[in-house]
Amino acid sequence: MPDFTPEIILSKIKRGEKVDRADLRGINLAKAALEGASFRRCDFEGANLEGTKLARANLKSANLREAFLTGADLREVNLDNADLEGANLERAILTGANLSRANLEGANLLGANLVGARLSHAQLDLANLGGADLTGAQLTHADLVETYLGGAKLEKADLTNANVSSSNIEEANFTDAILQDTRFCEAQGRGVRFTRASLLRADMSKATLTDSDFTGTDARRVNFSNTKLSGAKLTGAKLFGISPTTDVPENLKVEWIDMSVEGDGSKRVLAADVVNVLIGKGAATATGGGPRANVRYFGRGDVLRNASLQFDEGACVEIESLFEHCTIALGQGTELIVGTEGVLSGCQITGAGNITINGKFIERDSPGITGASQLIVSAGGSLVGAVQQAAEWTRFAFEPGCTLRMKIMQSKSERSGRPQ
Amino acid sequence: MSESKVVAMASGAGPQGSIGGGGAAAASQKQTLVEEGTKFKGSLSSSCPIVVRGRIEGDVEAPSLTVSGSGAVHGKVKVGEMRSQGELAGEFDADIVQLSGTVKDNTVIRAKSLEVKLTPPTGKMQVIFGEVQLDVGELNATKPNADDAKNEGGKKNKGGGRPDSVAPPEGGGE
Repeated sequence: MPDFTPEIILSKIKRGEKVDRADLRGINLAKAALEGASFRRCDFEGANLEGTKLARANLKSANLREAFLTGADLREVNLDNADLEGANLERAILTGANLSRANLEGANLLGANLVGARLSHAQLDLANLGGADLTGAQLTHADLVETYLGGAKLEKADLTNANVSSSNIEEANFTDAILQDTRFCEAQGRGVRFTRASLLRADMSKATLTDSDFTGTDARRVNFSNTKLSGAKLTGAKLFGISPTTDVPENLKVEWIDMSVEGDGSKRVLAADVVNVLIGKGAATATGGGPRANVRYFGRGDVLRNASLQFDEGACVEIESLFEHCTIALGQGTELIVGTEGVLSGCQITGAGNITINGKFIERDSPGITGASQLIVSAGGSLVGAVQQAAEWTRFAFEPGCTLRMKIMQSKSERSGRPQ
Repeated sequence: MSESKVVAMASGAGPQGSIGGGGAAAASQKQTLVEEGTKFKGSLSSSCPIVVRGRIEGDVEAPSLTVSGSGAVHGKVKVGEMRSQGELAGEFDADIVQLSGTVKDNTVIRAKSLEVKLTPPTGKMQVIFGEVQLDVGELNATKPNADDAKNEGGKKNKGGGRPDSVAPPEGGGE
């Protein structure tokens, strides 16, 4: 039996009293007006809240498992850390609601309005979000594994670090969404819209994304391993540093893609070469597909020992080989990419180049790297050695998953100006 | 030096008036806040997440540490997670580190996972490093292995364990 009858609840709310921590399991408050009420930590398991007006109510840490909330007005409600496992929220209005850390596993949110809702760290695995409106919603670190997102609107939503693996995303709309480091592994989606979305470092391995729209998408460093992309629209997509797919895409709709490191449109690859980029043929994937004359590629299986190499300004160098005891001099802005299979053992790199390490770099004499303008160690890359910064600051980027035994040193000429 | 002030707050609520906060259940909702303009000197151990907008000089142990752009932490730190946009100096042991801001000379950062984001050449520097040592990820993953390139194509280590020299962080979880 609930602690209170519906009449007592309504009377308490009318008097402005809080109803925190009450046992309200199975209570019927359908269509009741409970705007702004405080139900913190209340137990509403199996309660009937169909069409209930709960706008701005405080339901923080409440138990709403299996509750019936169809069509409920939950605008700006606080459901932080609430348990909504198996709840029915079909067509519920949750605009601006706080659902951070909420458990919505297996919940039915079909056609729900979640515009601007906060769902960071929320558990949405196995939930039904078909046709739901999540425009501008915050879904960072959310768990959306095996979720149904068919036809869902996620324009300008933030799904940074969210896990959308094995979900159904057919015809979902991610236009202008932030999808950095988002996992779409084995997601199933035909006709998904990623127009202008930021997919930096997203993992789309084994996903089916046929006939999807990547127009103007920033997909640099995306993992497309075994991704099905046939029929995709790719004009203007930024694809520097992608992990290529083994599934040869057909019927692509593309005029050009951008392979510049910065994603600034400066290195265009035309339609005829796009399939090669996507399947990782040649050096185009990592080097940016710029002027081919400036591309130097050292393929897998090659071994260079005790060599001195100099690459002038504007060159793009990709190494998938083993370099031992080599000295490499880079011109201003030269791109040096140690591919995932590349190993630079006992080597030294000097000069104001942009270095990306996806493989391994191990120094012989310290500092192993001197004067680089930019140094990126990607996930899976490793660097052992000292890096002496450029006279102008060296720009560093380290991705989670990289391995470093690294000493960062100041430029000799600029030590006096450095932080101490 | 002005008088030290450390205030524990319930998230989204007003000051509670004590360091940390009682009980494991309460700890999940509270954070220890060192507010801007406050300078704390000494050891600080908390079962709550610590947020630093002021300055800490000394040892810190907590499940997580967030240093805002106005914050500074100088000393020995052992935490589960660390996010910094402020100034760091000293020894930092953490599982997960997200770094921007400034890292001063003679600083050591040991972590299972480190993230530093790249800024465009024309933008403000994401992170400025002084003389810094970084130990990140599994130690044996960095051993040279010539066969990697020749035969197996350089298998990658995906992060994994904490460096051998680093003890796991102490103190309660969130």
